[in-house]
Amino acid sequence: MNLILEKHALPDLLQSWRGNYDVYLPQKMERFSHFMPLTDNSVLVTHEPHNTRISPKALFLPMTEALVKFTRFGGYEDAQQVIQPRIIFAIRPCDAQAVQLLDTSFIQEAYTDPLWLERREKTITVGLGCHEPCQTGFCTTVGYGPFNKADLDVLLTDMGDAYLVETLSKAGEDCFQGLPCASDEFVEQALIVQRNAHDQMPVAFETENLKEKLEQNFNSDYWETVSQSCLGCGVCTFLCPTCFCFDIVDETQRRERVRNWDTCMFRTYSLEASGHNPRPSKVERTRQRLSHKFVYWLDQVNQIGCTGCGRCVRYCPVGLDIRAMLRQAQTLPFEVSHAG
Amino acid sequence: MSQKPKIAFFQCQWCLYSPADQNWVDTQLPSNIHLTKTPCTGRINPLYVLNAVQGGADGVMISGCMPEQCHFKTGNMAARRQLEEFNDFLNHIGYEKERVRFVWLDLQDRGIIQKQLAQFEQDLEVLGPAKNLITRTKIAEGGLNA
Amino acid sequence: MPDLDAIKTEVRRLLADGVVEVVVAFKPGDTPLHPQPAFFHSPEEVDSLVHNGLCQNNLATFLTHLPKTKKVGMVVRGCENRSVNALIVEKQKSRENLYLLGVPCEGIIDWRKIVEHVGEAVLAVHENSDEVTVETREGQFNLSRNELLHASCLRCAHRNPISADILIGEPLPEGDPNLARVAVEEFESLTNEERYAWFQKEAERCIRCYACREACPMCYCTECFVDHIEPRWTESGATPAGMQGWHIVRAFHQTGRCTDCGACERACPMDIKMTYLTEKLNNDMRKKYAFEVGLDIQTQPPFATVTLDDKNRFSV
Repeated sequence: MNLILEKHALPDLLQSWRGNYDVYLPQKMERFSHFMPLTDNSVLVTHEPHNTRISPKALFLPMTEALVKFTRFGGYEDAQQVIQPRIIFAIRPCDAQAVQLLDTSFIQEAYTDPLWLERREKTITVGLGCHEPCQTGFCTTVGYGPFNKADLDVLLTDMGDAYLVETLSKAGEDCFQGLPCASDEFVEQALIVQRNAHDQMPVAFETENLKEKLEQNFNSDYWETVSQSCLGCGVCTFLCPTCFCFDIVDETQRRERVRNWDTCMFRTYSLEASGHNPRPSKVERTRQRLSHKFVYWLDQVNQIGCTGCGRCVRYCPVGLDIRAMLRQAQTLPFEVSHAG
Repeated sequence: MSQKPKIAFFQCQWCLYSPADQNWVDTQLPSNIHLTKTPCTGRINPLYVLNAVQGGADGVMISGCMPEQCHFKTGNMAARRQLEEFNDFLNHIGYEKERVRFVWLDLQDRGIIQKQLAQFEQDLEVLGPAKNLITRTKIAEGGLNA
Repeated sequence: MPDLDAIKTEVRRLLADGVVEVVVAFKPGDTPLHPQPAFFHSPEEVDSLVHNGLCQNNLATFLTHLPKTKKVGMVVRGCENRSVNALIVEKQKSRENLYLLGVPCEGIIDWRKIVEHVGEAVLAVHENSDEVTVETREGQFNLSRNELLHASCLRCAHRNPISADILIGEPLPEGDPNLARVAVEEFESLTNEERYAWFQKEAERCIRCYACREACPMCYCTECFVDHIEPRWTESGATPAGMQGWHIVRAFHQTGRCTDCGACERACPMDIKMTYLTEKLNNDMRKKYAFEVGLDIQTQPPFATVTLDDKNRFSV
């Protein structure tokens, strides 16, 4: 269903959801925006032509969450987290797509992460398409787009004074009840905006045969070249919407077993108890990060594990650019395999 | 203050020269004082102090030997430089300087530690319970205040 | 501004004559705002070398990434030179295996401030001593250089490399050494509650990516205290205790070692201010022990030495 939402009516609408839902929306925090709960004087920030700094995956997989509490005499109890139904407002399509990609690893036949599942089920996502191209993003390159509808309940298109509201699910429809229907003309205009936005995104690198090239050049000097200025911090992976590694730690002082974000870019990530480290240097770690996204994801679920949000490019402290790295990878030699 | 202030007490195991004093510390310390015995004040990592502070101590007392009397020659001197600076640093981010106190004991000092602890407790009662830097709290949903 | 051609000529000579095996400097990044640290192994590669105000990293941090015995050349500014000296004091490198090309520094430009002023679509950046000209898709903007400088650079007292093997360009007038002290005193004039509130506000944004640690030349431990499982020094997660603990101890481990280059702050993806912590410690080291980091390659930092003169320093 296509509806029109006048921008001046938005604050009231947001507030009206507060009764039934926790509403998260991008708000200003220092010099950037961040998904924070709606309060009486929240100000929505959507003018930035790029994402919030921390991806909304943090709302599904918190940086730190308690799983189990230990009791005094050797027992333990559930951490009993209360997860309220919630609406994530103005999530960008790349981030929503990323959450859907993460489902493939958290919701599996063999094991489903109960906390992830509960948060997923209780969340309604209201997406906001990107009508202005962002400088570091490359969503169209990896097969998605600035108005990608995957995993959204609603998609908004900014049309100046109003939003075009495309409801994509029953839950989404319920949230926007009572809004006037959009005229065909208005929808037509919105489609032009969407197409323009899509066309303005340049192709950052070729994805054809990329997997084979990275795979076949596993031992190439290429990895040494692209990783030498890497510092080995976790900025790229922590801000990444599709990185989902975590580490389970017993916090004895808190008497809790917690789950923290972890990243393959840290030395301790692959360090084994024996002292052996199968990924001893940043060369192997960089290879792991890139290969996971552009080789292993394809092996496992046949999708690229990158949605092109551009955070790693924007915030890398040494200016490493995954787009340039992959462009360089495209120059690597490879053989077409006929095996499979 | 209804409850007595909680004191984290770090003690160099050599600094109490009288066996009676050491015996008192080992066995008769009031329950609001938490004793941590270390081989030397040089072993007191500033992180121990931080841990005590974050865990809710209203005050931290550190007792060690006077200069030139260290069992390990210079352990106390190194500790003095570090711990004093650490206290200044905690003060820089808002932890009251008075909540960390050093007691350097001499060979002939007898019955000092009891008086010092009592005095410290009194002073802490005046200051009231510590508020800043006690952070062993619940984890926020979504991290980063979300 | 430094003469880029002179730097390139010297780097080429070093590599061609075999004075060093590798030169650490910057090359252009994919966007004009982010030059990348780069390793030059042969004179042919040197054409792409750049050196400008947007080079935000402290190159000395790469010194400990390279083998100790490797002969390394490095293009250094004032702060980098002092960091290198501090690393030599801590025996992480010997001076014989180093060749330092000194470049006087007019301060590092904060790319985030540029973005704040002119938006995202930056095509090119030109700079001189007073002005930065940014070309974007919307047009050309002239910004005052001073307004864009990083906080550490504004109060920098050592703009010239002090022990470089060769200095390229004319030395600049040195900065006012009192500025750092004034900044600390200003912060200390706040009440305990205000200071704690400030610290809390900064620390709670931390995502524990440890970019500050990795960007810092002095953080070269193979195993950091936060990586320890047993003993657990501080909470591992993004909890208030963990985040504050990290910031307190990271800074405290820099006592008498920090050159106030500000690389930690520039690397932080969450714009967390950190130099107000290390500056306090630096200030104390100056005040109490008359020690300034990296001015020579012999003097040990105060926490690595003890003297009996200390005994009069403490009244209790």
